[in-house]
Amino acid sequence: MKEIKKRIPVKEGLFTMPSNPDEKPRLIASECPSCGEVLFPKRKMCANCQEEKLREITLSPRGKIYSFSVVMQRPGRYYEGPVPYAFGWVEFPEKVRGEGLFVCDNFEDLRIGREVEVVIEKLTEDQDGNEVVAHKFRLIGPSKES
Amino acid sequence: MRKVAVAGVGMCKFGRYEDRDLDDLGHEAVVNALKDSDYEWRDVQAIFCANAYGGMGVGHRVAYSIGMKGVPIVNVENACSGGMSAFRLCYQSVAAGLYDVCLAIGVEKIPGGLLDDSSWPVFERKMGFNVQPASYGVEAQRHMEEYGSTVEQFAKVTVKNRKNGCLNPYAGFQKEVTVEEVLNSRMISYPLRLLMCCANGDGAAAAVLCSTNKLKSKRKKVTVAAAVLTSETYGNVKGAGSVRIHNLDRTEIGAKQAYEISGYGPEDVDVLEAYDTMSSAELINVEKLGFCKKGEYGHLLEEGAFDRDGKLPINPSGGLLSRRHPVSATGLAQIAELVWQLRGEAGARQIHGARVGMAHCLGAPGNSAITILKT
Repeated sequence: MKEIKKRIPVKEGLFTMPSNPDEKPRLIASECPSCGEVLFPKRKMCANCQEEKLREITLSPRGKIYSFSVVMQRPGRYYEGPVPYAFGWVEFPEKVRGEGLFVCDNFEDLRIGREVEVVIEKLTEDQDGNEVVAHKFRLIGPSKES
Repeated sequence: MRKVAVAGVGMCKFGRYEDRDLDDLGHEAVVNALKDSDYEWRDVQAIFCANAYGGMGVGHRVAYSIGMKGVPIVNVENACSGGMSAFRLCYQSVAAGLYDVCLAIGVEKIPGGLLDDSSWPVFERKMGFNVQPASYGVEAQRHMEEYGSTVEQFAKVTVKNRKNGCLNPYAGFQKEVTVEEVLNSRMISYPLRLLMCCANGDGAAAAVLCSTNKLKSKRKKVTVAAAVLTSETYGNVKGAGSVRIHNLDRTEIGAKQAYEISGYGPEDVDVLEAYDTMSSAELINVEKLGFCKKGEYGHLLEEGAFDRDGKLPINPSGGLLSRRHPVSATGLAQIAELVWQLRGEAGARQIHGARVGMAHCLGAPGNSAITILKT
């Protein structure tokens, strides 16, 4: 009997994976009640003021591209996705930037300031054939600047 | 604190050495540095050896190739800042009066292609974030957006440094390139092309440091005015992170400390060995070191300010772009160049009348090292 393949996050606690298709996936972050900083990925201690009692929050599903690069050559180890690939930083309304891969049909469409939404997509497969998934940023809005 | 002199420096030509091992490369650099210092191996009281890719005990292996002699040997791993960190450990030991003569070594043999940067968490490596030219590409894109720097300016950094490298017998690449060649070279990680990225390589460099009152060498005296090591600050990790908090970053706080300790300012520096691991990194970091305002480097470069006969010669050695980048050896190669320049021994690439020299290098995942030397 064929086993059902599972979707395994590349790292636990990085993002939500809602089973309800109407619910959008979100990045999981920490908010510091002491200095107000928001930290992604979530942490045990505030990296700004070392407060230990942090509140877990989820970030808005949409943000704007802070910067990016398109990698044309395969990295040395671990990364098993397609090449070329685009990654960079997205700024969220919660005043934090998160790093991730971009999903877009054409790398030429990537622009600093463009809006993206968080999606959870396949990164690679593990030895048992399970899908390893990661958060990615998908471009939304018109592809060409008017 | 005692005053510390750089008694001697030495290196081997950086390149690709399939047939030579780490200890052999290190041996050559150490022997050259000892000869340059007029000290003997028996005079060395402590050894700090930087290496990142060679496994355990690389400093011991180099020492073994010369002769074990009971002195403390500390192996230093601090990524691309390793060589300069080993130099700083020697400086501290001599300044504190613990030893009179110390030896700093940086030696490396590394694989080709894009390096796997093990300083990143595994999940980020699985996501492909651990690519050096890509991190610099992200930083370069942001600088272009905020300050209007251009890919042509990045190309011109390479052209300048490769021109200088033709005069450096220790440089792995001694061939000029044109702006067109740089802009037509293969894209590595947008907007950085192959000729804007330094090549990895194999090599070694070494320096002998001593208390100034113990100098044996009759060569022109070069002393350490500052040896500063900093790590990244909150909000600047990987160039991004916090939106609200704007701390000075590792390079900016390092420069502030180096200027305070040395009593010099950017206007006093006669020659700068900058960190051109990518051509964009030279542009961005020279601005952070306070030599010009953010966004000004590109224009000054185009005016020739950073040429060998310009207002501030940057990377007369040819930099990492010409030399190659054997990670832990780079910082000591930068220091060797400063010593030669300050002594007036840099041959065809000599910056005439150089009295104060500065070198800067970064390192993963968040190091910055600055050394200021003076005659």
